[in-house]
Amino acid sequence: MNLDKVFTDALDQVKLWARLNSPWAVHFNSGSCNGCDIEILATLTPRYDVERFGIKLQGSPRHADVLICTGPVTRQARERLLRVYEQMPEPKFVIAVGSCGISGGVFDGCYNVVGCIDKVIPVDVYVPGCPPRPEAIIDGVVKLLGKLQGAAAPKPAAAPESSKAEVVHDPA
Amino acid sequence: MTPLDPNQVKERSEALLQSAKTVLGSWAAAIAAPAPNRIDVTLTPDDLERAVSTLVTARWGYLAAITGLDIGVTSGMLEVLYHFCSDAVIVTLRVQIPRENPAVPSICDKIPYADLYERELMEMFGITVTNTPSPTRLFVAEDWPEGVFPLRKDAPVQEPTIRA
Repeated sequence: MNLDKVFTDALDQVKLWARLNSPWAVHFNSGSCNGCDIEILATLTPRYDVERFGIKLQGSPRHADVLICTGPVTRQARERLLRVYEQMPEPKFVIAVGSCGISGGVFDGCYNVVGCIDKVIPVDVYVPGCPPRPEAIIDGVVKLLGKLQGAAAPKPAAAPESSKAEVVHDPA
Repeated sequence: MTPLDPNQVKERSEALLQSAKTVLGSWAAAIAAPAPNRIDVTLTPDDLERAVSTLVTARWGYLAAITGLDIGVTSGMLEVLYHFCSDAVIVTLRVQIPRENPAVPSICDKIPYADLYERELMEMFGITVTNTPSPTRLFVAEDWPEGVFPLRKDAPVQEPTIRA
């Protein structure tokens, strides 16, 4: 038996365990009206308090596992969104929160808008709603974690395909 | 505090409207009243600076906004609206300029905070604001093409991307 493999397997398991138990999220507004951002704040602050589940908002993308992105991507925000995404360490996951992040919403076709988030970066979980309720956002994160747990092997470094993403239904 | 007497409010508004008319009377090509408490004063671009000066020196209200208006390709004109507010009264100075080489003078020497409005006017409508202190781009995206003005009626329309 290869001792190196045993060691890396064990390490991967520890990493997965840590990631599942405490995903760190960075929040990015790529052109949202702020409605979704306020729901994300409600999710993080004591009313819903996801930190008790280990989900922590992390200021720097360099320390984050999950990018929670809201709003359509404006022409001006496109480069910044890409930069934030590229600064995140692998493996990284993206949750698109709100109708605009999914399709561009009411801003689709506007002169200053590129479109939805998956036109710019790959998205793992879509949370629809305008804005989605905090329960829906939490459900989105849980679905993402479930997906990670379901994956037997740790995620390959390649970017996830958006077509495999799960859609979370808004309970509201 | 005693509640405002509606009659007094009305009197005050009418006095304000009257004073605006008196101040602007000599420059106005036409004065319209589109709504109660509101007058639209049509000016030529040459009279704009002097009209704004008289409003400022008379201390009549404050500049609330500058609006650009594309009144259609066929008309061959663009319009710039300077909204001044005092109390419940709004006085709008309307200036029509040709679509070809549209230009209005800057009013930043009289009202410094008009700077942002004028920059937006330049970027969104392609109107040259002569002598504005900072004519560089501010609002449109860095990769926005030169010579395309998004709020003009003939601006190219971006097709929606909604998937079936």
